[in-house]
Amino acid sequence: MNILLKSLAILLVTVVSSAAVAETILIKNAKVYTQTSAGILENADVLIEDGLIRNIGEGLSSDDARVIDAKGSVVTSGFFALANQIGLVEIGAVEGTNDAATELEGFGAAFSVDEIFNAKSTLVPMNRAGGVTRTLIKPYNGTSIFAGLGSIMDLSGDFDSVIVSDVAVFAIYGEYAASLNGGSRAAALHDLEQAFSQAREYAENTAAVKSGEYRELDYGMDDLQTLNRVLDNEIPLVVSVNRASDILTILKFAKKYGVNLVLEGVAEGWQVAKQIAEADVPVMLNPMDNIPGSFESQGKRYDNAALLSKAGVKVMFTSETHNAQNIRFAAGNAVAYGMPYDKALAAITHLPAKVFGGASNYGKLMPGFKAELVVWSGDPFEVTTYVKSVIIDGKVADLNTRAKRLEKRYKDISNDQNTFYRK
Amino acid sequence: MTMKQFSKSFLAAFVGAAFLVGCGEDEPAVHPKDSDSQAFISQYEAQSYHPVLIRNATILTATGEKIENGSILFADGEIVEVGTDVDEPSDDDLEVIDAKGKWVTPGLIDVHSHLGVYPAPGVQSSSDGNEMTSPVTADVWAEHSVWPQDPQFQLALAGGVTAMQILPGSANLVGGRGVTLKNVAGRSVMDMKFPDAPYGLKMACGENPKRVYGGKGQAPMTRMGNVAGYRKSWIDAKEYMESWDNYEAGMGNGKPPKRDLRLESLAGVLRGEILIQNHCYRADEMLVMMEIAKEFDFKVTTFHHAVESYKIADKLAENGVCSAMWSDWWGFKQEAYDMVPSNVALVDKAGACAVVHSDSATVIQHLNKEAAKAMTSGNQLGMDITPAHAIKWITINAAKAIGVDEQTGSLEEGKMADVVVWDGNPFSVYTKAEKVFIDGALKYDRNNQFKQPVSDFGLTNIKQ
Repeated sequence: MNILLKSLAILLVTVVSSAAVAETILIKNAKVYTQTSAGILENADVLIEDGLIRNIGEGLSSDDARVIDAKGSVVTSGFFALANQIGLVEIGAVEGTNDAATELEGFGAAFSVDEIFNAKSTLVPMNRAGGVTRTLIKPYNGTSIFAGLGSIMDLSGDFDSVIVSDVAVFAIYGEYAASLNGGSRAAALHDLEQAFSQAREYAENTAAVKSGEYRELDYGMDDLQTLNRVLDNEIPLVVSVNRASDILTILKFAKKYGVNLVLEGVAEGWQVAKQIAEADVPVMLNPMDNIPGSFESQGKRYDNAALLSKAGVKVMFTSETHNAQNIRFAAGNAVAYGMPYDKALAAITHLPAKVFGGASNYGKLMPGFKAELVVWSGDPFEVTTYVKSVIIDGKVADLNTRAKRLEKRYKDISNDQNTFYRK
Repeated sequence: MTMKQFSKSFLAAFVGAAFLVGCGEDEPAVHPKDSDSQAFISQYEAQSYHPVLIRNATILTATGEKIENGSILFADGEIVEVGTDVDEPSDDDLEVIDAKGKWVTPGLIDVHSHLGVYPAPGVQSSSDGNEMTSPVTADVWAEHSVWPQDPQFQLALAGGVTAMQILPGSANLVGGRGVTLKNVAGRSVMDMKFPDAPYGLKMACGENPKRVYGGKGQAPMTRMGNVAGYRKSWIDAKEYMESWDNYEAGMGNGKPPKRDLRLESLAGVLRGEILIQNHCYRADEMLVMMEIAKEFDFKVTTFHHAVESYKIADKLAENGVCSAMWSDWWGFKQEAYDMVPSNVALVDKAGACAVVHSDSATVIQHLNKEAAKAMTSGNQLGMDITPAHAIKWITINAAKAIGVDEQTGSLEEGKMADVVVWDGNPFSVYTKAEKVFIDGALKYDRNNQFKQPVSDFGLTNIKQ
């Protein structure tokens, strides 16, 4: 690189990134899962500049790059954990740290959580150190069948962590929805239909509603406006539903209202895989859950993901919150029970980005894409594999966690009474 | 139940104790206790089955050994021989299994399960795990809540689990007796009970009891209230035990004291017959519990969940107390905030008894992978833990933590033939249990649907 180009590059870096200076990083000799038509590159280098992947290939070099020796390691896109409460909950049972639901009546679909995301939560570095670089956060249901809006956040730990705001409305149907509606699925379905038909009424009579000249509607204006975003196909409606017959009910509902539907949970999805595939509705499920924990999930089984995938359904995976990082083992379990590896990898990378947002520059390893990737000690789905490096926005991320500080403090127990001074 | 039924090592810990004075080491004491009624004793009988020789396997014995190209022979419910040079006996009934590429381990043991007491489906009408009516319910026995038709038993079996301790929940200071079961089909819980296994007595530290009772304006409302509650109970138990001892010694008016189910369980602990299984997260609380054990001359056998055991691993080793832990659960409540993923490995490194447990109908199906995760976390800290060693966390150490290590938990001659054949290295996410033997009989075969048990309730869920 000549001096002119170098200074140009410096200028560019200065302009592009004001928060923190993106590094030039060269990952050497990795097995790269590109998730493009190039497939898996057995021994490739990845050059990262200005937050982007500049080049992938053999024998790359760069004068001033920070070099990561990745011999024997695997590189994938950073993982995308779905539908958890990272940044909304610190300690589940400590109420003051838990912002995941509202008990307020008349506030459902429009309950949005991106602005209250706590980027400094200990859950952020914990899951980042486990290879999760972005997450879809969503509220859970308080008193409404609508939980609210989900948003996509990165796990950089920076105050501005939003990737895409308000990407979907989350709702429930089935036993729990019935319990919020007087105890019957029929009432829950009626509630769902009412909400969307009143949203239409609201859209057609907005001025009259606002000025009080229209009959009083059963839902708040914020909620109705949000549901109109769904009716206008700006964002999808995600419905958590498990029983096979309930899934069909919701497919029918979505068709009637013309909304883009995503199904969540789908315990008995495999029984109606054909119908889900025909409706071209993506699903998100937990491949580690085969417990017939309720009467609406009696058909739950480990090969649900494999069977749905085989039927042509787009399958994504859901994670828990504190250990969203375990999504990779869930993906491994899906593979163990018959899902093709590349589909399981897509389920926690580019597929959710395609469904919910952010796919234009994430989820594949190719020049021009965001440098958001993980260097693994081996197969990322394997229980003996660990994270070696995480790169978000072209920067090498801190892998330290509160747990690691505790480990350091106690790994060599001594009675020197200096415990509290070891930091 | 007699003293003979308890492991020697466990008995040894108690022979010198004051409350056993007057009983010969070999002659069991004759105090009236729970077992005198002979109620609810195990009616499990090992299924008679032909002898089996598994050849060409990678065998983890749970004695620390890994045997390549190994063989294991078992017959009449017992392990006959394990090694590289096992002769094929001349027996027309012998089944020889070629396990090339497969691994063999002892049957996995989960020391903390609520299968049967919190069955699936999780409906209120069969949710029977927590007697939340009084902070000390030592009189209740988990086995009287176990629903043998819980379909989750079969899921655990497919995960290689051959035995488990079913415990009451942790709402109470003393939640009641736990029971150890073989993972076999039964019409009653007695059909499943692990023969001669000691009872566990569930205790709970910390948040749960004080939340449950404090929330009702009752004691305990604080951790100091918890401790007062334990100590009062042990004082009562000691007095009760002494009243029986006096009666046996011919003192008093010759009339036996009235039986008290609550105090019988607690006195059973003081006599060394019932093992304390103590739900306890925080290090400081575990140290307090060990202090109470000292005060009243009993032993805590195992701390459960033990999220902070790594902070006091030296003390746990010193006191010979097991810790039953998760690989990575954290953050669901305040006392679970200080989890480190190397907890299991650090406890093990200190020479204390480390166990990986589930407390979950899902995790119980993946104990091998949980152990693998814990092993990997230890190795990231620079340890050199191998599968041959880590397998102990879910087999022999687990057996020790519930007092059945003389009978099962490792592949050694004369032990129960509780054996799992895995379709590969069990320390892999892709590996599944292929065949599961309990007392030498094939109870599960992944490749033969006729060898896959289904409970009555599970018939709802037959694959369509």
